Amino acid sequence: MKILFIMILLFSSIWATEDEQSSDYVLGEGLQVGDIPLYIGGYLSADYTNVEDSDFHQLRADEIAFLVYGSADKFSYMAELEFKEFYIKQWTQGDTNTQKNTQLHIERLYLDYNYNENFVFRAGKFNSPIGYWNMIPINVLRDTSSNPLVSSMIYPKYTTGLDLSFTSYSDNEIRVDVLLQNNKDFDDEYNNLKVNKHYALGLEYTNNDLSVKYNGGYFHTRDPLVVDKNFYYSLISLKYDTDNYKIMGELGTQFNKNHSLVPYSGYIEGLYRITPKHLPTIRFETYESQQLKQTQKDSFLVLGYTYRPVYPVAFKAEYQMHQEDAQNRTLLSISALF
Amino acid sequence: MKKLLYIFLIQFICHAEEFVVVMQKNSTLTSLSRAKVKMIFLKRQKMSQDKLLIPINLSPTSKIRKSFEKQVLGMSRNRLKSFWTKEHYLGHRPPLTMKSFQSSISFVEKIDGAIAYIPSNEVNNKLKILYKWKSK
Repeated sequence: MKILFIMILLFSSIWATEDEQSSDYVLGEGLQVGDIPLYIGGYLSADYTNVEDSDFHQLRADEIAFLVYGSADKFSYMAELEFKEFYIKQWTQGDTNTQKNTQLHIERLYLDYNYNENFVFRAGKFNSPIGYWNMIPINVLRDTSSNPLVSSMIYPKYTTGLDLSFTSYSDNEIRVDVLLQNNKDFDDEYNNLKVNKHYALGLEYTNNDLSVKYNGGYFHTRDPLVVDKNFYYSLISLKYDTDNYKIMGELGTQFNKNHSLVPYSGYIEGLYRITPKHLPTIRFETYESQQLKQTQKDSFLVLGYTYRPVYPVAFKAEYQMHQEDAQNRTLLSISALF
Repeated sequence: MKKLLYIFLIQFICHAEEFVVVMQKNSTLTSLSRAKVKMIFLKRQKMSQDKLLIPINLSPTSKIRKSFEKQVLGMSRNRLKSFWTKEHYLGHRPPLTMKSFQSSISFVEKIDGAIAYIPSNEVNNKLKILYKWKSK
């Protein structure tokens, strides 16, 4: 409860106008330090989860992160440091468990070089440019408190290595990404997959409000419990985003030489902007996983509602109705970007 | 009656204000499509060949900016706000903002790669028109 109180205080301290005119600082767009190419910002989020059938409750100060970035001439840089799951309190049927994680993690740390209008080279640790959800994965900017399972089941969320991108600009945009990782992550505690090799290809086509994307790749896991350490994945994604509504979907599979570990995992989601402040969301998710020689399947519906008093502050409520498992749950969250 | 209607219509069309997107006269760019202008002002395209592009916005209350956002970018102000908030997380900044189109013109004349939108009747011989639109 104290943590929630501190977060509310922090939120109110960062409250500022959204209007460019009345202040140099625009909430959600960071702050420049002096006149040098150095911008600072950050984000916060806290959430509450209740799983009905197991009477499980969880309160979490999930994300407390700081951003530093800037650009000069053809170079730009980004650093993101984060306290992940800073405070967790769980209670179920009389048992209570509390954890505090005060270690600061490197979420992103990279340098970009814009060679010319078509080629950009990126080196460091960055969000793997796979699908659409993984590009903007923080609570305040995503559509629901929860992440679709496909964003954590199929591919490594972070890559520590190189991203060579080529973009062709005409009336539409075609982008090709080549990812190369041949080393351990900078800091892989919160990467969903512990890898020391990751090679991938991404193709994206954007025409005004419509984008489609394909990603395929290979990674080598460091997990000592896994016998066959070589994995392959494939993912297709679609996004149609207008002033009034957004439709987005991703469908992926993960396999090795012998069999399919995740035969399918995907979602289709619709978001409607009643007004810029009121945003209901509906998402259908389905997956089958055969990892650790156990078959798990589920399909579920996510009904979400987001209230944004200003865009960089979000209050979210969500209810998940699961088909296969006793996993129906309620999620509430509060988050902000500054 | 029909003639009168045509006259009104022609007068209305003639009175629609015309705006232009301009760069320095010596720019290698010749003309731009609406989609290209959008890519540059959303900073999706950051360079032209090997030169950095510096898009210039006018203040949020400017009627030229409102027309530019609606007719050229095709995005509402709220959607643009959410776009730049997401770009902040990705380490990208919105375009520089100038208080008047006179300041934009002066900036474009001096800075190689600068690109701005201004009223068409303000174009001088130091500027090159890359795109035109009429306010609705």
